[in-house]
Amino acid sequence: MKINKIEVTLQNVVEKITKFYDPTTTHFLTLNGVAIDETKTEIQWIFADYMKLNDNTVFYVVVDQEDVVPSIVEVIPSAIMSQREVVDMFGIEVQNSAKGLYLDEDSLQKPLSGGCTL
Amino acid sequence: MSKKIVQIPLGSQHISLLEPVKFKFSCENEKIIDVDSDVGFVHRGIERACTTKFKYDKIAYVVARVCGLCAITHSLTYTMSAESLLEGEVSMKAKYLRVLMVELDRIHSHMLCLSHVSENAGYEALFMQIMGDREPIMNLQEKISGNRVQFDYIDIGGVNRDISLSVEDDIKVSLKELRGKIEDLINEFENNYTLSLRFKGIGALSLKEAQEFNALGPIARAAGLVTDVRSESNDLPYSEIGFKIVTSSGGDIYARNMVRLHEILNSITMCENIVSGIPEGEIKTKFKGKPNGEALFRLEAPRGELMYYVKGSSKPMLDRLRIKTPTFASIPAFVEIFKGQEYANAPAILASFDPCMSCTAK
Repeated sequence: MKINKIEVTLQNVVEKITKFYDPTTTHFLTLNGVAIDETKTEIQWIFADYMKLNDNTVFYVVVDQEDVVPSIVEVIPSAIMSQREVVDMFGIEVQNSAKGLYLDEDSLQKPLSGGCTL
Repeated sequence: MSKKIVQIPLGSQHISLLEPVKFKFSCENEKIIDVDSDVGFVHRGIERACTTKFKYDKIAYVVARVCGLCAITHSLTYTMSAESLLEGEVSMKAKYLRVLMVELDRIHSHMLCLSHVSENAGYEALFMQIMGDREPIMNLQEKISGNRVQFDYIDIGGVNRDISLSVEDDIKVSLKELRGKIEDLINEFENNYTLSLRFKGIGALSLKEAQEFNALGPIARAAGLVTDVRSESNDLPYSEIGFKIVTSSGGDIYARNMVRLHEILNSITMCENIVSGIPEGEIKTKFKGKPNGEALFRLEAPRGELMYYVKGSSKPMLDRLRIKTPTFASIPAFVEIFKGQEYANAPAILASFDPCMSCTAK
């Protein structure tokens, strides 16, 4: 399936997604993280259009471990689940998204981050 | 009556739940006014395992273990995303066999949901009847793939077993019998007061809410949202085998039941068309290279859109595998549906969502 990738910044991502997102024609799939190295992670907001062939749009930004990713929940309420998942799996702070969806305090923390070794 | 708010938990273990999930309802008298959900009881770390323990060509067998009900859809979605990063072409015969198994998965998964919805209406005899009628479909899957539940059937390049003429005949006979039973069930769900009156207007989601909360699968289609990944991709031959999108209106439990029942009929038609016209050819072709780059693939699982994201850098181990399952993405829509409902209806509403916690806590 085709991926249209659009680079954004932490400062403009909410604005760009707000402009792009029309709930009558498009839906939000998920927030994804991809570890680049021990400290950097690519954060992706993935969308697809209803009833269009092979059409996926991905907004992405590369963040450092200490960066705070803005929340898009005010625009897309369903994003809360995958925001909380990224917090647990990558140890990256996402605004208004609590830890502990999947992992307990005594679990291995941020298991999908580049800095995690098992 | 006073307006005292009480907290009532449903789960993590409850008679109406098949898997662990916890909803904490804030109720004003009998009415649910707010809901908190906890879905992380059985997280298994499969995404991490797939990038640290298994080579890319074995992952289709690992992700089949994400879910017992839509194992084929998981294997196939991963495989098609990996194939798009390799060099090769899947034969049309293998594509037909893949779709055959995916649609059989959908039939027995929808039937499991309908049986539990019946049980929640207090109609236990129908629960047992539907579970009995579901058995022949699982037997067909065993005849095709060699197993009833955890199928190691899909592989990069095609499928692992060919289909024999006798199995094709068994499929035709079983599906013909099932069609009659599903038509009877449609009559039962439409006209039996225990099911129709009990469920009309209960647990409704409007079209606007379905869009706002990104509802998926039968829940979205029951609310009138026209979306089905089978119409949004031409990588599988759905347009050739009679796929028709099923929608309804009302968005309540009754509408969700009707969507699932009519989808079963459409899946039966597609499976019959497949076995009547399986193309000649290889069941598996050789693919060259190792995954390089990133790919994203979506398929319509029984509960809605399933997505796999794969990233590789020409090495045997993937850099990243991301699984987005339909139940996980639908939790905010579930929460919205519960609000304003009577607490006594919560188990029936939950059963009508057909939630899969095994997928959710992959």
